[in-house]
Amino acid sequence: MERSVLDSLGVEIIGVMSPVSICMLLVVLLVSTLSPSSPAAVADSAASATSAATLVYAESPSDPPARRLVGALLNAAAFVALVAVATTLLVLLYYYRFTGFLRNYVRLSAFFVLASMGGSILLSVLRAIDLPLDAFSAIFLLFNLSAVGVPAVLSAAVPILLRQAYLVALAVIVAAWFARLPEWTTWTLLLALALYDLAAVLCPRGPLRVLVELASSRDEELPALVYESRPAGASVSNAVADLGSVELQPVEATPPNRANATQNSDPDLTIVEIESFDETSPLVSNEQPNLSNNDRLQPDIAPRRETGVERNQDISPSSSSSPSPVTTTDSEEFDTSRGIRLGLGDFVFYSVLVGRAAMYDLMTVYACYLAIIAGLGCTLILLSICRHALPALPISITLGIGFYFLTRLLLEPFVVGASANLATILWHRLNYAIAVFSIP
Amino acid sequence: MTVSAGLGYMLISLGPALSLFVSVIAKKPFLILTLLASMLFWLISLIVLSGAWRAFLPLKSALWWPYVILIITSVIFQEATRLIFWKLYKRLEVVLDAFAEEKFRTRLSWTDKMLIALAGGLGHGVAHAVFFCLSLLTPSFGPATFYADRCSRIPFFFVSAIISLGFTIIHTFSMVIAFNGYAEGKKPDQAMVPAVHMLAAAVTLINLAPGGCVVGVPLVCFMGAVTLYYCWQMVWRKLKDQQSRQRNSSDVHVS
Repeated sequence: MERSVLDSLGVEIIGVMSPVSICMLLVVLLVSTLSPSSPAAVADSAASATSAATLVYAESPSDPPARRLVGALLNAAAFVALVAVATTLLVLLYYYRFTGFLRNYVRLSAFFVLASMGGSILLSVLRAIDLPLDAFSAIFLLFNLSAVGVPAVLSAAVPILLRQAYLVALAVIVAAWFARLPEWTTWTLLLALALYDLAAVLCPRGPLRVLVELASSRDEELPALVYESRPAGASVSNAVADLGSVELQPVEATPPNRANATQNSDPDLTIVEIESFDETSPLVSNEQPNLSNNDRLQPDIAPRRETGVERNQDISPSSSSSPSPVTTTDSEEFDTSRGIRLGLGDFVFYSVLVGRAAMYDLMTVYACYLAIIAGLGCTLILLSICRHALPALPISITLGIGFYFLTRLLLEPFVVGASANLATILWHRLNYAIAVFSIP
Repeated sequence: MTVSAGLGYMLISLGPALSLFVSVIAKKPFLILTLLASMLFWLISLIVLSGAWRAFLPLKSALWWPYVILIITSVIFQEATRLIFWKLYKRLEVVLDAFAEEKFRTRLSWTDKMLIALAGGLGHGVAHAVFFCLSLLTPSFGPATFYADRCSRIPFFFVSAIISLGFTIIHTFSMVIAFNGYAEGKKPDQAMVPAVHMLAAAVTLINLAPGGCVVGVPLVCFMGAVTLYYCWQMVWRKLKDQQSRQRNSSDVHVS
């Protein structure tokens, strides 16, 4: 079949949106599998979910709204302050070239996230679906999975598909933890983080901006967890059918002289050229060929215009005896040689929003998902206009929260009212009937 | 019977849409973006509509005429949404055409345009199915099922799954018909789409009568089949035209 413009337009955007969608889908599935059905269990889980995000105030449903609001605001402020301090620390360490320490720290925290938090989530999933698994093989599996994750998250020698899978897994695990926060705290926290993101990336001396500029001036990788969607090499046409086909080649296998693709008669490569270079400035493609013929593992060729989003979160789940520090660093940057990159923190907080929506209804999940994806699309369009990296949270989170409340307040009575004409039942009655039947 | 029943209902309502997505839409990134945009568009229109209706809801279930008004306004509003979507697409098409000329030396082919229309329609259909069926289906994953008073033979979930299947088909293919009708300025096609939509929506009102779902549900499916058939006729006609035109042009070329 003849190639048309439909095949090539938007490959990069889909390359970012599909992992985000997969991450959100997994979190929604996790949350809806694990969400406790009885009120007692709700209270129980809320009590156990003390973490860095509920330092100041532990929300309980019986408190009056004013108190809850103030408490949630305090929680959010404390958490953002913590994040800011951690980020500043990270920037300082990076500035004084403690890069090895940072990289090892990221690896260590990835291991801890996968092993302890992932293990506890695995345990509750196994419990929820009634699957018996003996302790020995569980530990064996968990240890192996986490051990592979340690080199996978930062090293470039690992196949990119594996790396992306691990990054998505990390995001899912952290988001599933965050989704256990009480409701009001979640909303204020998300809004506060979106504001923080905006400030940290766009302010002249914002920590994330400093960090990314530092990294690009030193011409090295950020010592952080960043998802990169590689521009699809030869497999543009089925780039979207599955994530894997795009990302199977490891980093060093990227075609070294991709900028020459303009002269190349191969239609696939021409498309890559259109996608990755057309939106960027001509000076990039001019200096690309000679530089990229170097045998460098990481072709950091193009002058990178990037600003990142960088965030450290400290979550200390009370259920585990030792607090496990988690570094989730996210940054979004637009790099001409390697497509779009999105920080892991963006993955996490998008998924937290959707996961929180999943506790209410499927309709809100759907509305939030669409809003977040639309926000991401807007950010990506802005990115191709601005050419320097942008915070990925603010637009998406604002839209997501807005759509959540709109759906909840406006849409639900309408949909239930309109659907009621199918058989004239009211939602409450249905729920009541289900509740009656589901009591064992 | 619980999770499998829920999944089954889901697949009844969304199975065709899913296979369309996997076989056609997912292969072309731009179509995915169109799909998402169309879903978002539909969602926004629904939110606006429900905002307007908020004051009057929930309806007293004893009366039937408020439902008529509700359905009529909804259908009119959705058709207006379709028109706006078309206007937006029209603008986008100019850009796309320019882009395609520059890069591929061809303009958008008519199949491309139809694919875009299909993706847009699928977005509307899936959005409809998610809101009016899937959101009600969540309890069906639990250990019970539910029978409504006025339709005591068929489970409520099954009824809504089949109705949403019918509406997904109607939405998906009427978008193709409508876009083609707008592009070629065909009045019958343009009029046919709102008529089918309104009729199908009106048919669901039969479900309000006791035992009405036995009549209403097959009628919705029938409307879906009519839309599908009409769309197929239209595409087939265009295909024939195209083929004969190509043959003519190649004849000219040979001579």
